Amino acid sequence: MTEPVIRVQQLEKRFHIRSGSLGKKGVVHAVNGVSLEIGKGETLGLVGESGCGKSTLGRTILKVYEPDAGRIFCDGTDITGFSHRQMRPWRKKMQMIFQDPYASLNPRFTVGELIAEPMKIYESCSPQEQTERVQELLRTVGLKPDHIRRYPHEFSGGQRQRIGIARALALEPEFIVCDEPISALDVSIQAQIVGLLERIQDEKELSYLFIAHDLTMVRHISHRIGVMYMGALVEIGPADEVCQHPLHPYTRLLMSAVPVPDPVRARQQKRILPEGEVPSPIDLPPGCPFSPRCPYATEQCRCAVPPLRETGGRQVACFL
Amino acid sequence: MLKPEEYFAPLPPEDRDTEFIAVETRSFGRNVWDSFSKNRLALLGLVCLALIVLTALIGPLLTPYPYDGMDALARNQGSSAAHLFGTDQMGRDIFTRVLYGTRVSLMVGFASTALNLVIGVLYGGIAGYVGGRTDMIMMRIVDVIYAVPAMIYMILLMLIFGSNVYSVMLGICINGWVNMARIVRSQVMSLKEQEFAVAAFVIGADRRRILFRHLLLNCLGPVIVTVTLMIPQAIFTEAFLSFIGIGISAPMASLGTLAQDAKMLMNVYPMQMVWPVLMICIVIFSLNFIAEGLETALDPRGRRP
Repeated sequence: MTEPVIRVQQLEKRFHIRSGSLGKKGVVHAVNGVSLEIGKGETLGLVGESGCGKSTLGRTILKVYEPDAGRIFCDGTDITGFSHRQMRPWRKKMQMIFQDPYASLNPRFTVGELIAEPMKIYESCSPQEQTERVQELLRTVGLKPDHIRRYPHEFSGGQRQRIGIARALALEPEFIVCDEPISALDVSIQAQIVGLLERIQDEKELSYLFIAHDLTMVRHISHRIGVMYMGALVEIGPADEVCQHPLHPYTRLLMSAVPVPDPVRARQQKRILPEGEVPSPIDLPPGCPFSPRCPYATEQCRCAVPPLRETGGRQVACFL
Repeated sequence: MLKPEEYFAPLPPEDRDTEFIAVETRSFGRNVWDSFSKNRLALLGLVCLALIVLTALIGPLLTPYPYDGMDALARNQGSSAAHLFGTDQMGRDIFTRVLYGTRVSLMVGFASTALNLVIGVLYGGIAGYVGGRTDMIMMRIVDVIYAVPAMIYMILLMLIFGSNVYSVMLGICINGWVNMARIVRSQVMSLKEQEFAVAAFVIGADRRRILFRHLLLNCLGPVIVTVTLMIPQAIFTEAFLSFIGIGISAPMASLGTLAQDAKMLMNVYPMQMVWPVLMICIVIFSLNFIAEGLETALDPRGRRP
């Protein structure tokens, strides 16, 4: 097998929190020992409930946050300990698309300046080339080249997201973290943006880490899906497999929450309702993080953390 | 009646995959000016200030008298063709002295504000952006400076450096930048958590670029408003210091010194007092109206969509 574009081993990210300047200290395990690989041209979907560490994982891989433990490999090179300066050549390979198309574009910059900024930072081409390149990128993402002098506030949410995509593409990366790129958009626009992302992937052989809430959309775009719970991967495998035959109890719970577009079938489908409370990420329970809510939990689950095990082409973190 | 297919016409092929915007592009500055010029008071303030700045600049050309030229034969005169605002008790032309006084007052106001701006924006920007312990230490220093009343610094400075324009300016600056630093810090702190700052980091921008190009540029609105409020404050402080006799001393004159000179004969020749005070009022009112106009114009919520 060829070297994956991104390989992450036992990544951990903790946040130290404090209530007030003299308050109690606490540690949030936002990402807790995650290992994954993303191959060339592959999309890994990442799902999980709010606050389970999906975005933190994405940002830690891009070194927006310094990881507390574990290793990150990009094209086989260990970039874990690299400083911001050392990261520069690698930043060209890894880019990010953001959730909020309103907050992710500097409102004082014109579209041209926004998209040309990465090129300016790396001084990769002359000003004329920059303009040409920006116009070409605008065309790629379905905007008009003469939008170059406009400001972000003149665009709609979907158009702004296209600008964000154009900026991410400006450095011709190999890997893009899509941090819920569609959850702030209307449904009709979501389809357009996903279509755009797929088209660009085919053209440039990009790899995506696609973070989202919308399970049907994730299934549609991803080759493989990873399910996260409380900072850890509980199941990872081919998209259709994970969606049709979820193995981990938490994945089953998630999949049963997907709305079915057919009311007759929807009535027949049984919804698994979670029991108990979501544990606080500050003091994780010992054992499997899902055990307090899991209907099948045994004594073993409450004592030890189940490791990811290989089962029929995918990995599941469950003793059962 | 139209048939359904006649309601719509197919797009030309080159526009198929694009969306377009019908509204004309408006730059940030253009938006601000449009909103500002709708405010009549602010516009009036701008015109007044422009006139005053102009007369202060070309002052010597408008009057035949030097600012310290005394004329023992023409003391305490009322307004006349020769002396527009009359003369003071030493026979100096008050019109000339008000012109020069305005010049000094404006210079103190603008120069000290410029200094405050640079120090405050840099200090606040760095404290807010770096955050953590650095921010804590930097802001405690600010608190200490702020805790001592400004008047004490000023009086001490006057004692050491003498009563001149520069020690007044220094006195105003010594804790004038603190406000600016606080405002910029809080702005930068909230801006750096926004996604566009993360985006700048991800594309590989270094810290300086993120701070100046992304964060401080977005603080522009509150900074401009603070500046327009700082100038009249500085002018007022200077006038006050000169009025109580520890500011700029003779023969140089600021508007405050002129008011102080006129104080002794206020009962007999009230007009000598009125001219400089009127000037102070006009300048401060103009600047405050401008500040108010800018505040509404720069408020992003008030901007047209």
